[in-house]
Amino acid sequence: MSNDQNINQNSDEFFADPLPGQERYVAPLDETPLQDVDTVDETNPPTSMWADAWKTLRKNPLFIVSAVLVVLVFVVALFPQLFTRIDPRDCDLTYSLEPASPGHPFGFNNQGCDVYARVIYGARTSVAIGIYTTLLVSVLGGLIGAVAGFFGGWVDAVLSRLTDIFFAVPLLLGAIVLLQMFRTSSSIWKVIFTLTLFGWVSMARIVRGAVMEAKNLEFNTASLALGSTPGRNLFRHILPNSLAPAIVIATMSLGSYIVSEATLSFLGIGLPSSVVSWGGDISTAQQYLRTNPSVLFYPSAALAITVLAFIMLGDAVQDALDPKARTA
Amino acid sequence: MTDNQSIIAAQQIKQGPILEVKDLQVDFTTDTGKAVHAVRNSSFSVYPGQWVAIVGESGSGKSTSAMAVLGLLPGTGHVVGGSIKLEGQEIAGLSQKEYDKLRGSKIGLVPQDPMSNLNPVWRIGTQVKEALDANNMDVSKEKRSKLAAALASEDSSVALKGEDDELFVASKDLPALLDAAKAALEKNGVKRVEEEMNYFRDEWVPGSETRWRVAKDLIDAGVKDDEAWAIAKKYVLGSTMEDRIAGLLSEAGLPDAATRARQFPHEFSGGMRQRALIAIGLACRPDLLIADEPTSALDVTVQKKILDHLHMLTDSLGTSVLFITHDLGLAAERAQHIVVMYKGQVVESGPSLEVLQHPQHPYTKRLVAAAPSLASQRIISAKERGENTDALLEHKVAGENELAKSEHIITVEHLTKEFKLPRKKEMFKAVDDVSFSVKRGTTLAIVGESGSGKSTVANMVLHLLTPTSGKITYEGRDTSTFKAKDILDFRRHVQPVFQNPYGSLDPMYSIFRSIEEPLRIHGIGDKKSRSKRVRELLDMVEMPVSVMGRYPNELSGGQRQRIAIARAMALEPDVIVCDEAVSALDVLVQDQVLRLLNDLQAEKGLSYLFITHDLAVVRQIADEVVVMQHGRLVEHATTDEVFDHPQKQYTRDLLDAIPGGKLQLGLD
Repeated sequence: MSNDQNINQNSDEFFADPLPGQERYVAPLDETPLQDVDTVDETNPPTSMWADAWKTLRKNPLFIVSAVLVVLVFVVALFPQLFTRIDPRDCDLTYSLEPASPGHPFGFNNQGCDVYARVIYGARTSVAIGIYTTLLVSVLGGLIGAVAGFFGGWVDAVLSRLTDIFFAVPLLLGAIVLLQMFRTSSSIWKVIFTLTLFGWVSMARIVRGAVMEAKNLEFNTASLALGSTPGRNLFRHILPNSLAPAIVIATMSLGSYIVSEATLSFLGIGLPSSVVSWGGDISTAQQYLRTNPSVLFYPSAALAITVLAFIMLGDAVQDALDPKARTA
Repeated sequence: MTDNQSIIAAQQIKQGPILEVKDLQVDFTTDTGKAVHAVRNSSFSVYPGQWVAIVGESGSGKSTSAMAVLGLLPGTGHVVGGSIKLEGQEIAGLSQKEYDKLRGSKIGLVPQDPMSNLNPVWRIGTQVKEALDANNMDVSKEKRSKLAAALASEDSSVALKGEDDELFVASKDLPALLDAAKAALEKNGVKRVEEEMNYFRDEWVPGSETRWRVAKDLIDAGVKDDEAWAIAKKYVLGSTMEDRIAGLLSEAGLPDAATRARQFPHEFSGGMRQRALIAIGLACRPDLLIADEPTSALDVTVQKKILDHLHMLTDSLGTSVLFITHDLGLAAERAQHIVVMYKGQVVESGPSLEVLQHPQHPYTKRLVAAAPSLASQRIISAKERGENTDALLEHKVAGENELAKSEHIITVEHLTKEFKLPRKKEMFKAVDDVSFSVKRGTTLAIVGESGSGKSTVANMVLHLLTPTSGKITYEGRDTSTFKAKDILDFRRHVQPVFQNPYGSLDPMYSIFRSIEEPLRIHGIGDKKSRSKRVRELLDMVEMPVSVMGRYPNELSGGQRQRIAIARAMALEPDVIVCDEAVSALDVLVQDQVLRLLNDLQAEKGLSYLFITHDLAVVRQIADEVVVMQHGRLVEHATTDEVFDHPQKQYTRDLLDAIPGGKLQLGLD
């Protein structure tokens, strides 16, 4: 044994001589100071899932751009008067298809209505349809999905087959058939209900999956063993933990509902022409695509930007709420 | 030292270290561009034919060091300093292409998780073949490691002539070879021919047994030298790819390897998958094998079998092994040289027994003191020396004797639970006629391997599962007769602590809300008194009050487990059922949690039903032990009796499998 330290002084056991480079080594204590076992890191501020998500979102340029656009669209929808003084229904045929002029930046359509004003006022219809449909879809789809996922068994079997049936009907086909029956009504609610009827399916599936996953997590068993009931667990533990994917799908599909409304209006079965909407305007403008493309361009651009903003927002929210990033 | 060992040692010095890592530094770059030093100034070396273990807790940098050697650092990790020399050649700065040539043929890997490291859509044999193909291995003959070649040239008992002597037996030549061997045995007048032939049939595995070994076996059996060599040369002519694959798998300890090679991973158990991974890791006869926690996902008895086999295999091949593990006992038992890592640095290294018996760095000392496998040995060895063991059992239940011992708080009688398996008619008996009782104020441990039904018992005791038959009584009352109100009351008195500290706390709940939940459910106190109670509970589990506003994802596994204990304690229960409550934790943290549980028991007179797969932990905490296997109760006795005089073979196997259990520790 080498002469360093006092190893092995009073031991009669035999140690083989270590090979070169494998001699006994003990790191000086100051190099790796020993810390207490498992100390709590109190330096970082506490964060909840939502606070974490917000922190991630704040740094995401995708979120910033989309959030600004979404806020803008909301402001336009709520207070169109702030952006234009012209009434979109106040049309003068003498101005039919005239190009842009001072005070009328986007020009006029074939009816002689101000295109800018129609784009601004059209936002309200689109956003209202998007928001209401999303809310209804979330409630209906979320409820059906949660019940199916939570109870499982035959309840799940029945609800899942029901979901499959609705899933099998193409949205447009279903909407055309349904809306034909309410041709005379000019309410936007007929469109909202139709979209909800065929849109809750994907929400139900997502929520069902999330609930089934959350249901099997250990904290539910823990909570049951603490004296909780399954019903209480559904509302206190399972649903809050299934919220993230539902929020993501809701944000993302909001844009697609707006598109669907525009499509239905374009086909002439959505909203009547008396309601100012981007879809309706696109529909009427398509005849002038060759001669006056700008009439078609502005409502289309407004629609595209709005939808894109919601989809980007959904993307950013999905990144922030990614459950995989939080399990570690 | 035997002659053989000294020859090896001489060769090791002559050839020099196969792997030499000096002042290694590995950084990971975070999203914000900050560098995290995962490994700092770490040095260690591995000699040919040697097992070197790197020991450390999670996050200590042990796996990162190994991956740096392999050039497989994940994500943003990169080597920023120091050198890694393989056979004297610097490999730290090599390109991935150059690394491709080293990996497999020079450095092999046995990864950690057998479940995810085999591709589920490929047959096992195909995956072995992939390793052979990728390195253009000659499948007809053995590739000698440098050490094996050097040793073979010095070993006079085997006259190794040329490379041809390393050719393998082929399956198509085997019958003819066996016939010739039989004829030769009879001709040379060997007695007990059948016995020798049976031995040959076992040993001469196509694709694994070499010509010189066949010759040696024949000579050992009594055949003349030149005759034996003539037979070996005539019939041992090199194997095909299929033979080699089967040979490799059977070397790794898979019986009926040719059939197994055509199976898919899902048809294999965890232990068999790990054997297949060992076969793949050794397929191209690397000089260095990196085994990254190869058995931590397996049961102890399986772990022992696999490591025994791997040891035998690498010894015969002359392969060096860099063995990564969190288990100090296991490391000391398997490796000649130990490297202890802590927070990315090597804090102590040296010959394994020496490090274990005379730890010098405070961290190593702490680790040795906390390692359950070693601690349990402490008690036994102290007892053998005739010392008072009670003084060494630091956390023995105080006041245990004052309590009425005869009173059983929970009694389980003839408990049986059957499950219906999908696509099968007969019921699966997860628990089969199990009876035991928990004495008030004591700990009863249920020990068993995965699938033994121990957790099912726990869930039935917790009234989360309904038994198929049998009776569970709490305080003399049959729990199956409980109405909803009784169950709520029962839940107040019997609380669980679950295995997975990451799963048992709701990630959406703050720590305060988590601990407060049982109080809310049972409608105890108002807001103010509940808040006071949560503070008390946090104090009880030695957590700062400041964690109340935090969320589980900010805490470590051990901290979460302490929160789970605080939650269980909120209602002042009489019984706590701990289902593998410390299994997922690092040794030091595990020790800390066990101490906490013991202190609480002493203070509050709690009774524990402690479910675990780790017999070593049992020694530290339990008063009585129930050993379960395949749903049946194997043995039931006091802890001392089970450890000192195990009655059943299965219990003895479990005890033998405790890593490092047989190591003699100097008590200084």
